[in-house]
Amino acid sequence: MSRTFTMFAITCLLVATSYGQNSSSSDQAETIKLLQQEVEMLKTRLAAVESRQEQSPNGAQLVSATYTPAAAPAPAPAVQDNPAMQNFGLVKGIKFQGFGEVGWKANDHHAGQTPTFGFSNGPNGNFSIGDFDLFLTSRINEKTSVLAEMVFGESDAQSFDIDMERVLLKYDHNDYLKLSFGRFHTATSYYNSVFHSGKWLQTPVNRPLVVEFANDGGLLPTQAVGLSVTGKIPSGKLGLNYVFEYGTSDTIRPDINDREAAETDESNGNGITAGIYMKPDWAQGLDIGGSFYHDRLNPTDTGFHIGQSIISGHVVYTTPKFEFINEAFLIQHAVDGLRTFNTPAFYSLISYSVAPKWRPFFMYQYANANSTRVIFDDVALRHGPSVGVRYDFNSYVGFKTQYEHTFRRTPLSGINTVSTQLAFRF
Amino acid sequence: MKIIRNYFVVGALLMLCLPLGNVEAQQGGDVAVIVNTDNPVTSISMADLHKIFGGDKQSWGAFPAVPFVRAAKAHERDVLLSVIMKMTDAQFQDYWVKKVYSGTVAHEPLALMSTGMQLEAVRSQKGGIALMNAQDVKDGVKVIKVDGLAPGSAGYPLK
Repeated sequence: MSRTFTMFAITCLLVATSYGQNSSSSDQAETIKLLQQEVEMLKTRLAAVESRQEQSPNGAQLVSATYTPAAAPAPAPAVQDNPAMQNFGLVKGIKFQGFGEVGWKANDHHAGQTPTFGFSNGPNGNFSIGDFDLFLTSRINEKTSVLAEMVFGESDAQSFDIDMERVLLKYDHNDYLKLSFGRFHTATSYYNSVFHSGKWLQTPVNRPLVVEFANDGGLLPTQAVGLSVTGKIPSGKLGLNYVFEYGTSDTIRPDINDREAAETDESNGNGITAGIYMKPDWAQGLDIGGSFYHDRLNPTDTGFHIGQSIISGHVVYTTPKFEFINEAFLIQHAVDGLRTFNTPAFYSLISYSVAPKWRPFFMYQYANANSTRVIFDDVALRHGPSVGVRYDFNSYVGFKTQYEHTFRRTPLSGINTVSTQLAFRF
Repeated sequence: MKIIRNYFVVGALLMLCLPLGNVEAQQGGDVAVIVNTDNPVTSISMADLHKIFGGDKQSWGAFPAVPFVRAAKAHERDVLLSVIMKMTDAQFQDYWVKKVYSGTVAHEPLALMSTGMQLEAVRSQKGGIALMNAQDVKDGVKVIKVDGLAPGSAGYPLK
């Protein structure tokens, strides 16, 4: 028994000694780490000095004049004057990002339906590359930047259109006043303000019809050229924000029922959007808000003048694992002040990451337009569920597969659609 | 004899535990929030830290807030992700891709490879803010309190 104790004690001692050596090793590692940090700091300073030297005809003198040891840092220069910071990409340079997709879709709808994103209707299905999206940002100075987004969109028979989705000169005075000039995605819906064109960003394969881009059959004026003002409203933990936009939409919608029918040029006058939303401190991920939009339409070949007002509201809760997006709309068209048509619409999307790479989702959407009206006669009543799953191979590539059923007002039959999409960013 | 033997065994066990405690302290030390010395801010809330490193607060009022983060596999980044943002590294990167793409911010926080580079960056940017192991903080930057607590005090949240 005593021998056992003795052996155990000796073993403990040996292990403890080993830990002691580890501790000593970790001290050495810490010393090495500190030395490495010092070396890195010196490298950074050297890079700054070399950059200045390249800019100066008398660089050699600058080296000896500007070097200071790390323990006594030089007064902080303005970032514009600090070449090292410029090398870090803080000020100059254009940053590119891209989004792409490859999809396949089949449905039991007749082939006459207007194709979108390069897909043709029919049970055989076909592949398409949809939208290829190039997105760039560039800082001009601390408060001014440029944002641009170009989309090469597949239309029909592998032909492509180029669309300058967004191009904005942005000036952020502070958190309470941010100005943007150029072409922007309007704040008529939450979805339009957040997801834009890149399919990789959204969970389902397609956008809900009501918030689909107008040139793909959507119901809202999704883009405009003009001025956008956003910012926070001093409201403490309530986290209120505002948005105000004034611009020209120039919306052109295809007839989503008939590929041969002429597009409708709404010839919008200037429109205004005013919105408010809150993102409270006490519920991270919660976003509740709404907006009001108004403009005047003069659709081609109709002779009508139509006042268009759109009221929208959203309740959104998103976390890295959970996504719950709900939006409702009331689109009102007043034809020459004689008759008013209302189009209610909504969608609800819920998804949850059940495993690190798997995210099942369910969406239900609804839009109900009067079939006899001047605008949206092709939409009529459409509603139905979409169900699917998204699998993310990594942070850059995701694969989605989805089944969708669309009910339509009788005598029109419902549409079953199966689609897959490989969405990626780079 | 038995008492001596037991004392010896307990002593050996205690020696086993001691280095373990040291290792834990080295890995879980307090992380300070540092800002430029010209920044008048002296304290910040956890909610505001979340906003700044999440791109929802982009100014200190008169000048822009410029967050810097450590690159992957640094204790400061682990604290940022687990305590402040409550995200994994991949989720944090995805979050910022979406944030930049939405147009609300011009670029994601610059990820720096060392504390030395972080010090340089915060010294150079008036609105600079970064997380740094408290023991690594050097002259030329200012450590601010988090929810009224300084690094090292009981209940300090960033560790």
